[in-house]
Amino acid sequence: MKTLRLGILFSTYGDYGALARDCRDGAMTAIEDLRGAASIAIEPIPGDPAGSSERYIELARRMVQQDGCRHVIGTVTSQARKDVIPVIEKHDALLWYVCPYEGFEANPSVIYAGACPNQHLLPLFEYMLPTFGRRVYLAGANYVWGWEMNRLAREIVTKADGEIVGERCLPIAETEVERLVAEVAARRPDFILSNMIGPSSHAFLRAMSELGRRDPAFRPDRCPVVSCDLTECELPELGNGVADGQLAAASYFDSLDTPLNRVLKARVAARFGPARRVSSYFATSYAATRLCVEAVSRCGTDDPIEVRSALAGIDMPSALGSLRIDPATNHADLPFLLGRIAGDDFVILQSRPQIAADPYLTRSRPTLQARSAPSQLRVVS
Amino acid sequence: MSATPSFLGQRAVILHRRSDATASLARCCNLLGIRAEIRWQPLRADEGVDIVFVDADEGWDGLLPWTAPDKPIPLVALLGSEAPGRIAWALDQGADALIMKPVVSSTVFPALVMAARRHAEGREIARRIARLEERVRLRPLVHAAVQSLMAGDGCGEEEAYDALRREAMQRRITLEQTAAALLVRPRKQVG
Repeated sequence: MKTLRLGILFSTYGDYGALARDCRDGAMTAIEDLRGAASIAIEPIPGDPAGSSERYIELARRMVQQDGCRHVIGTVTSQARKDVIPVIEKHDALLWYVCPYEGFEANPSVIYAGACPNQHLLPLFEYMLPTFGRRVYLAGANYVWGWEMNRLAREIVTKADGEIVGERCLPIAETEVERLVAEVAARRPDFILSNMIGPSSHAFLRAMSELGRRDPAFRPDRCPVVSCDLTECELPELGNGVADGQLAAASYFDSLDTPLNRVLKARVAARFGPARRVSSYFATSYAATRLCVEAVSRCGTDDPIEVRSALAGIDMPSALGSLRIDPATNHADLPFLLGRIAGDDFVILQSRPQIAADPYLTRSRPTLQARSAPSQLRVVS
Repeated sequence: MSATPSFLGQRAVILHRRSDATASLARCCNLLGIRAEIRWQPLRADEGVDIVFVDADEGWDGLLPWTAPDKPIPLVALLGSEAPGRIAWALDQGADALIMKPVVSSTVFPALVMAARRHAEGREIARRIARLEERVRLRPLVHAAVQSLMAGDGCGEEEAYDALRREAMQRRITLEQTAAALLVRPRKQVG
């Protein structure tokens, strides 16, 4: 084959816009970097569905039917992924999904490069419960990500003899967080899990910062807000220092000091300017795109079945560490990092080597133990 | 709170000719930690299986070693046909959930969760009905015991019934068992 046509399907407007822009930029930067370097030519076919389900389906269909794409990198929300999957399945294409999600999926037509709960939420709570305490408040968006993350968190905390002192889900774009914050102030949790997203999450973090100023018991060092989806790409929008001290789990942070990350950061600085930070969305999308091209190059064809089997033999160095797709689950092995926000960056507090994805939590049961019992997480290095 | 369902370590039999459907199903079972065996031969009752998938398109009576009311484990029917006769066959076998063919991976886990829950609920309902049926059957005994107490102690019906119930509670047995016991021994022990 001469030219690999890669669909780039991200909705860069709306509540998830910042995340999607990083995903898109990551994929496009990888394609630029591979121009001339890869043994095949790559032509990106971008599409922006502007948050509409119908447009997602329409654009995906156009990519695979008319534009000759057999690989599409795209979608941020689970809803969009579920909308696009039938089109991908119908045309025997492959979807490359690069965002953290709530798990319970392992479609043969999807490569999951983003983390699922045994790679983010479980290790996060293994750190949080002994460190901050077992009285937890759950705040989420009214959407499957928020619901399922809260359900799992409740299961973990209950099994660890902890207590969910409150739970509230707000509509996705809701920015009126007064009741939520009042409830947090009244219930006095040890920490808060936030699965809110975009403007809603920003409003909450601002209000928590305000609450912390009024009452030191709610400062991030004593009652932090933790999340599995807040990254560098949202920090500039949040404003200076508002979220300082809050925590987030991710499989990558800009502040990682590794040779490959220094190369990636230099590249991003040259292309987007020195202020631009690299988020896990950007880095995952960048790495997944390179992995896709590597697999296609090795096969000499973009046939998804051949590409999938070629992936089983590839262990690609990346800024996320060694990137490997587990052929049993189609998920990437990913490291776990815990970061504390400081300005535009995350200070890395804890890191674990590559964890094999367990999307149905078959092996890594959420059986976090009370106090001192040992970890049952399966860590694969 | 709903717990995360687990099928880890369970044994499944897929009663179906080898095909794309069984390959897809076996992959999903493997992901869920279920050991699955594919075969197109009748299941025996003593095989120690935890879950059965059965091809409802071509399945025949006798493929499964039970009839619907006595089904001891969750049953998932695999169906491509929309023919009412095949749907009825699946129902007659006691199917707790349905997976349509071609098997799409996203349908397997939900079907298993639903089948396990429906099966457990069915068993619980059957147990409850059996208990109630026994109580209905033994109701004349309770009546006879109350009559006997009324005659012996010269008390009213309500008082006699209360005495019987009190004893049942103290001995932690059913009212019917208390009544039966009372009718075969001297009544002064009661009340």
